[in-house]
Amino acid sequence: MAEEAAAAAAAPLLEGLPDEIVLWEILVRLDPKSLLRCRAVRRAWRCATSTRRFLLAHHARQSALPIFSSDGCRNLLALDHRAAQLHTVARHDEPFFLEASCDGLLLSRSYSGRRLAVYNPATREHASLGRLPSDFRILGMYPHRPTGEYRLLLTNLRGPEGQIGCHVLTLGSDQPPRYIGWLEMVKPLLFEISALFRDSLHWFLQKYRKHVLVFDTTTESFRHMRAPLVLGDSDPGLFEMDGTLGINCHNDAMGIITIWVLQDYESEVWDIKYRIKLPVGEIREKFGDDGESWGLGVGVLSGDGDVLLLLNFGGWLLQVDSDGKLIESFDCGHRDLAIYEYQLKQSLVQHTFFPALKSGSAPPLI
Amino acid sequence: MATREAGKKMIMLKSPDGMEFEVEEAVAMESQTIRKMIEDDCADTAILIPNINSKILSRVIEYCNKHVPTTGATGAAASDTVAPAALAEDLKIWDAEFIKVNRATRFDLIQAASYLNIKGLLDLTSQTTIDTISDNSLEEIRSFLSTKNDYLPEEEQTIRRENQWAFQ
Repeated sequence: MAEEAAAAAAAPLLEGLPDEIVLWEILVRLDPKSLLRCRAVRRAWRCATSTRRFLLAHHARQSALPIFSSDGCRNLLALDHRAAQLHTVARHDEPFFLEASCDGLLLSRSYSGRRLAVYNPATREHASLGRLPSDFRILGMYPHRPTGEYRLLLTNLRGPEGQIGCHVLTLGSDQPPRYIGWLEMVKPLLFEISALFRDSLHWFLQKYRKHVLVFDTTTESFRHMRAPLVLGDSDPGLFEMDGTLGINCHNDAMGIITIWVLQDYESEVWDIKYRIKLPVGEIREKFGDDGESWGLGVGVLSGDGDVLLLLNFGGWLLQVDSDGKLIESFDCGHRDLAIYEYQLKQSLVQHTFFPALKSGSAPPLI
Repeated sequence: MATREAGKKMIMLKSPDGMEFEVEEAVAMESQTIRKMIEDDCADTAILIPNINSKILSRVIEYCNKHVPTTGATGAAASDTVAPAALAEDLKIWDAEFIKVNRATRFDLIQAASYLNIKGLLDLTSQTTIDTISDNSLEEIRSFLSTKNDYLPEEEQTIRRENQWAFQ
């Protein structure tokens, strides 16, 4: 074993280039599938691409792929918008919700049986988490940095006295959810989507529209931060963008998308960074059927300091740039496609909770 | 610092084999490494670029010349007549021609782009190798990159089995 490692260390990864460059400029840029495959080229490649440090760097370079459901919420698809490819990442035997996405892990819950499953589409690891107690809802999933554990934040709105509020469930542990309180803080949460950023979960409280609720995943405590004054606009949704937070919303006619951006996290300053007028006429003419009412799913893709809107209209996926120009259209053939607010950033990092959890009978992975 | 007509600041880059290249400061500053030297005022005469021979350095300068954003009077005139999309398309074609070099030269360019910290050039030069690894069979990867298989047949089978789907 030691001999093997020494031999691997002595030979360069590629003749003619320093290992540093091969590893951190070339191998780290491979897509997850190619990276797994390249380990079979030679021993040194396998050693070099299996370290946790390398896999974390590889994960950090992945783009955040928008996720969709289709086929009556049985299929989960991810869009690689650069390659214009929509591929299936999971298929369930019953309709399910996507409850959370973090660090390349997805958490799903079945509509009917409340069955929970966690899986990693890039490594095809999968584990069943059993059933969620009937009064519980899932607020989020996060890595707990001090322990390296992955945890679920749950809430129950009914239960025995002194046991109503938030609970924390550690993946791979056989302990029941641990009660942490905070009932008053989570009461106003309806079905808001959480955004994981700076080791904190964030929700935009639709009911009051005054605060962003923040859960510090290290101390496992809540606080409020200031929210922008989003007046009159519909469906405000919080999302992570380019190392900060954004809130997107649309006007009643769904012709204008407004994106607020948190300019400074510490001082909680929000600004309207984009007000994008959608090319409604052009879209209806090119992609709509006669008389079809105007309505669409909207996702925001960010990168390189700009945003792209992803619109789901009549079986087409359309990309609109921040000037409101239609730049790409993509016939995806799925009339019942729905955009999730969550995105998938693929990861090949190994997690100890997968072996610790019993695998369910039917893995949802393709 | 040397100056030339049109008020453009010029700067001297020297390769270790003794060649000197006079380039516009804006072009040299496509390299984040050189930009930092200039901004830190460490570059008042000529800048010696270690480890990059004149043949590779001249190609790097050629790349930077093509990719430097056009500014000033002539730049404004150019962007009035040529659409940004057409410019981007033109650059793509130019890049594709630029990268038609043998592997040794390409690897030298990767190292130069990495040392000089020129993101666009690094992306361009490393993409060919990334594509080679992504698009080919294991045997082809080994042959194209002149690297040897040091697994025993049964070891390679085990690795293939671990992530069988990645090999389909």
